[in-house]
Amino acid sequence: MRENKSLTGRIDWFLVLLLVLLISFGLATLYSVAYNAEHPSIFDLSQLYGKQIMWLGISLFVGFIVYLIDSDIYKKFALPIYGFVLFLLVVVLFMPPVNGARAWLGIGPLGIQPAEFAKIAAALVLAKFISTVSLKTQNTRLVLIAFSIILGPMFLILLQPDAGTFVVFTSFLFVMYREGITFDPLILNVVNSFPNVKFKQTWVGTHFIPILFVVIILAIMTILSSRVFVVFPFLSSIEISGFIFILVALSVVGFFAFFLVQQFGSKRERSNTTFAVLLGYGLSLSVILTVHFGFSSLAPHQKERIEFFLGMREDPDGEDYNRNRAMAAVGSGGFSGKGYQNASVSSVRSNHVPESETDFIFCPFAEEWGFLGSLVLIVLYITILIRIIFIAERQRSVFNRVYAYCVAMIVFYHVGINIGMNIGFAPVIGIPLPFFSYGGSSMLSFTIMMFILLKLDSQRMDVLR
Amino acid sequence: MNTDNRKFVIIFFVVIVGLLYSMRLFYMQVVDESWVLRAQEIAEKRKEITPTRGIVFDRNNKQIVSNKVYYNLMFVEEKLMNFDTLAFAKMLGWKKEEVSARFQEIKEGEGSYYNKSTKKRTSNYMRSRAYPFLKELTLDEILKIAPFLDKFPGFYEEATSMRSYPFANGANILGYLSEVTGEEIKKDRFYKPANNIGRTGLEKFYEKQLRGIKGIRYVITSAMNDAIQSYAGGKYDTIAKPGANLTLGIDIGLQAYSEQLMQNKKGCIVAIEPSSGEILTFVSAPSFDPNLLIGKRNISANYPKLNKDPNLPLYPRPLASEYPPGSIFKLVQSLIGMQEGVITENSGFPCTKSMVGCHNHPMATDIPKAVQYSCNPYYYYVMKKIIQQGKKKNVFADAEEGLTKWVKYMNSFGLGVKMESDITGVKKGLIPGPKFYDKWYGYHNWQFSSIRSISIGQGEVKLTPLQMANIAAIIANRGWYYTPHFVKSIGGKGPMEAFKKKNYTMVNSKYYPSVIEGMRRVVNESGGTAASARLQDIVICGKTGTVQNPHGKDHSVFIAFAPKDNPKIAIAVFIENSGYGGTWAAPTASLVIEKFLKGKISNEGKEKRIMDAKLSNIENEKE
Repeated sequence: MRENKSLTGRIDWFLVLLLVLLISFGLATLYSVAYNAEHPSIFDLSQLYGKQIMWLGISLFVGFIVYLIDSDIYKKFALPIYGFVLFLLVVVLFMPPVNGARAWLGIGPLGIQPAEFAKIAAALVLAKFISTVSLKTQNTRLVLIAFSIILGPMFLILLQPDAGTFVVFTSFLFVMYREGITFDPLILNVVNSFPNVKFKQTWVGTHFIPILFVVIILAIMTILSSRVFVVFPFLSSIEISGFIFILVALSVVGFFAFFLVQQFGSKRERSNTTFAVLLGYGLSLSVILTVHFGFSSLAPHQKERIEFFLGMREDPDGEDYNRNRAMAAVGSGGFSGKGYQNASVSSVRSNHVPESETDFIFCPFAEEWGFLGSLVLIVLYITILIRIIFIAERQRSVFNRVYAYCVAMIVFYHVGINIGMNIGFAPVIGIPLPFFSYGGSSMLSFTIMMFILLKLDSQRMDVLR
Repeated sequence: MNTDNRKFVIIFFVVIVGLLYSMRLFYMQVVDESWVLRAQEIAEKRKEITPTRGIVFDRNNKQIVSNKVYYNLMFVEEKLMNFDTLAFAKMLGWKKEEVSARFQEIKEGEGSYYNKSTKKRTSNYMRSRAYPFLKELTLDEILKIAPFLDKFPGFYEEATSMRSYPFANGANILGYLSEVTGEEIKKDRFYKPANNIGRTGLEKFYEKQLRGIKGIRYVITSAMNDAIQSYAGGKYDTIAKPGANLTLGIDIGLQAYSEQLMQNKKGCIVAIEPSSGEILTFVSAPSFDPNLLIGKRNISANYPKLNKDPNLPLYPRPLASEYPPGSIFKLVQSLIGMQEGVITENSGFPCTKSMVGCHNHPMATDIPKAVQYSCNPYYYYVMKKIIQQGKKKNVFADAEEGLTKWVKYMNSFGLGVKMESDITGVKKGLIPGPKFYDKWYGYHNWQFSSIRSISIGQGEVKLTPLQMANIAAIIANRGWYYTPHFVKSIGGKGPMEAFKKKNYTMVNSKYYPSVIEGMRRVVNESGGTAASARLQDIVICGKTGTVQNPHGKDHSVFIAFAPKDNPKIAIAVFIENSGYGGTWAAPTASLVIEKFLKGKISNEGKEKRIMDAKLSNIENEKE
């Protein structure tokens, strides 16, 4: 039943276009940040930009081969690939450490990080697992198997140690959530062990992951606002504390949601949605109040640690060196930036922001292009993410959908944490900005990840429903 | 369980994170300015280029203050490699421990700052920053070290500029430079730590002109603190403008000669060019070699010694010491009396020795004779006529009115008021007025007889030697003066505006000739008190004074100008505790005048006598 259409016939050109745009931005930024007047050619292999172009070439070549392979292979060989990567993750632990972590296989310019590829392998196996089991009846065993798929590589990666990639693996929780694998069976086991309690389902258990996410976001917002005073434009005489501002903002959002539900919600669901809005509002409010008063009552040194963590405190030459300089670079960009090749704080030559070509590459971009550029980049990433989710949702096979969601969530985590650590929203754990940061493994693994996605998507019609 | 709707939850999260990040970026980049400042602090450095300080010439275009290159031995700890402390110590001729101690001292001193609010000294020492290991080395000193620096990577020499004084004279005029204090840095943003500032003398008064304008270069610096490129293509950079050169009225040859005459004496010589008000010579004896106070090393070694010296070499006597003028005051008294109409040039008064002591002389029947003989009773009569004019019935009120008028006259001669010369520390002397005596005796409780000793320049009256010299200049000019000043031209553009304005006294010029005639006779006729000042072919007009000193031997004072017609120099010589004015001050003045006008000395015996004289109880340092 295979249609012999041309190889490119069903490729998602929109996603390709977005990725090409992103890679161009990345190369331009790398060329600016690492510019060496003695080696101005962008193809000069002695320079970071030359090397990155070489890696891009290698990645595209490998990606092209990947694209030639029939998509069935991935489902069939998911487990062997996974096993091979696990093996590599063990091997890498016996390698000499680089910068304190045993993450590199091979040496010199051709070294690779198996952890980058473990993400793809885990995605494939998770997709295969979820596509082969029936999710109609959730049970503890199923949930535990799903968890152990990601916990295996996570454990090995923690031994390296590589905190960044470790955290990225939790992105698979969102994929499981989408597919209906939740913490609920585990929680039910606990809850139902009490006498006379017999739940079929707990709301918290089912929506545990998004709730956790909301709580984390709200907590960070609350702490960040604790030392901020909001001054309204044109009304400079009115100054309110950030805490009050957050409460007011939350209430406004709550009332607005309530109003929307009352006006436009379908009658059948009105009472349910009203309840959900009220519950959400109440939960958010209690999280904010708890975090605010909890934070205020902390001992000063504990408070200090959290504030350092979130970049609210200046310890310019201490352990917060990287973040302080990164935030100075981003913050000094202004509305429209300092101009191309004018990143005074974050260029590689000035060396104020270590790793400004890899983990902190958002810095020079934001410094040179200002708020406008940063906004464009964020919109570009969000568009890519939504496009991948759109692709995921149009798949006929569960395998394809789960894999696509895995790609989306991995990229989401990378973008969220990477940009977050440049703006004081996330801790400094070294993970690259996809298609932007300098680095062979990252470029290669994200390219392969995308080509697999494009291939699966191009053959989606071949799958019988 | 259908979980399709959960895609909206995930999309919601993606969008909400995007929104939150955009808001945060908007706040950081557009609203919050503090990151811009932080970035400037980190990477955008303002480098100041210190201009060369203006140099100083004398009236004959001889350089008397110049800039000389000195060297600092700098080091950057980070760049030290295999540093051999022992070999380094050997090269400097130090002990090993001294080298380590110096490193420690830098870390705690230059490499730290004092926070006033917390009262804590915090280290901001950076291994990547350059600090001076040794400061202000001369060329000879650095040449002993420089060839071996190759062995000690991380150490290098750096040139700095400091003052140098080719002539060891005029220290009290020129003043000295020293490091700015924290308060001065706060007050004036020009200064940065380790900059120098004029501390005294002309260096202080003309600080703004001499220091020039700093150039500013904005550069982007790396984490190693190297400048890696200029900021915004140098758009905001400014060029340093060197300080203005000063040309002084001082004749450095005459200054050196005058200082030589004053060796082993305490006192002053002030000479002024009457036609311009420029100060030709300004001697405060004893003085010191200005080269003793160049740079931190010299200052810390020599300043305490100079400061403790009982002979006060740092004290600029000509403008800060206030002495009773003695008989030279009679010149001004004569002029005021004639202007007030209470006497004429032909008035005569008896030498009533019962009023006040006097020496034996023919009766003074007119002003020239009164000046020539310096008759004390004569000036009691004159002063009484000025003060008690009988315009008021009450003798006390009459005295008050008279004295008020007298003070105004005196002020018009620059006496009892501060002369706004171009040097700091000018004292105004003391011309006591009614208020002064009200305090002493009570309101309307004094009259001429209470205050008569001021008639002859004794008692409460006090003048600075600068004011005494200026009296000579006023009489030489027949009634006017330019405020005496040192600098005749700032950067080739003439003196300060204030010194271009003639000040007129309240005495009409027609009254001066009789006083001048008296002064001529003082020097040039037998019976004059200053025959020792007489010169063969120059007519000096002068007046001696012998100032009674309750603490010791009388002070010797002489003011003069020469030549009589078209005067070129007005001078005051004041020698403490030396006796009669005619014995010491007058011949000293004549030597200075002759040196200035002729360039050579005709009477070498006189010169030798003055130079060899040890007067004024110079206290020698006990070795």
